[in-house]
Amino acid sequence: MANIFKKWFDNLLKSIFKKKKDVKLGLYGPPNAGKTTLANRISLDWLGEEVGSVSNIAHETREIQIKEQITIKSGRKELTFNLVDTPGIATRIDYEDFLKAGLSKKEAKKRAKEATKGVIDAIKWLDNMDAVVVVLDSTKDPFSQVNLTIIGNLQARNIPVLIVANKIDLKKSNLKRVVDAFPQYNVIGISAKDGVNIDKFYEELFKLLD
Amino acid sequence: MPHQCVRCGKIYEDNSKNILTGCECGSRLFFYVKKSKLKKAEEFNENLTEEEKVQIEKDIYDLIGKEIESEDKPVILDFESIAVKKPGKYELDLVQLFKGEPVVIKLQEGKYFIDLKSSLGSYSKKDFKQH
Repeated sequence: MANIFKKWFDNLLKSIFKKKKDVKLGLYGPPNAGKTTLANRISLDWLGEEVGSVSNIAHETREIQIKEQITIKSGRKELTFNLVDTPGIATRIDYEDFLKAGLSKKEAKKRAKEATKGVIDAIKWLDNMDAVVVVLDSTKDPFSQVNLTIIGNLQARNIPVLIVANKIDLKKSNLKRVVDAFPQYNVIGISAKDGVNIDKFYEELFKLLD
Repeated sequence: MPHQCVRCGKIYEDNSKNILTGCECGSRLFFYVKKSKLKKAEEFNENLTEEEKVQIEKDIYDLIGKEIESEDKPVILDFESIAVKKPGKYELDLVQLFKGEPVVIKLQEGKYFIDLKSSLGSYSKKDFKQH
């Protein structure tokens, strides 16, 4: 009897503590993998509003964007977190790439500078995260220095990770290649743009943050 | 370790007074250069136009944060974490950045390091709420 009471009391304490805590869920990954598209999808689904703008030109998100107190539901379960969308992490940022995308020289150089600061900020914010969703583009080679560095560092910091292989709606997508690249991780294929497999993604979020 | 002025490219030895007071050209921004990379640093500076050097200096101040500029103290940049090849061309060493290796080394009555967390201001809960 005492044991049952203790268990009930512990659970009660746990739930009170959990509700008070600001759980921060970070979206990390290389540029143009679809982090903001996924953030918008989550925020639209549960709050009815978007987080930020998306673009075909890389480094569209150059500042940390936050949506606070998103509550997602699955059956009788509920999960509340603050969603942190981060700028894409890159090893090389060159304004000439933005010129090719149609920006003026002045705009391109400004974008390059802001994107560089964005990388520093994204890395700094990592210590604030309770869990991270690494968003990868499933049409691209997963074995990039950026991907391996991000995932390796999350592991070293003991931050729970869910890997999302995005853009599975595209012909060039290769989900198996991403799954095989990170066998020790939970990898889920989605299309953030079209909402493909998004319910499965929410289920995985419960496992990640529980 | 030698230090190179970002604006004019002049190289100063570690014990030079100019590192504390600023370069003869008036700039207070220096690159910290390892001896093994000294030649590369000299070549890098020679290949830039005056306009490009001024722009790089301005861009770096934007990157490291305005509060550092306003203090009017010499700032020394570690060449290892972020390399500015030309205005608008950056190379980032992610391994160093994730390690939290210093991006900026600032001099103020001697030397001290500013790591990633403090160089751009640490993110307290208050900052988090402001976003």
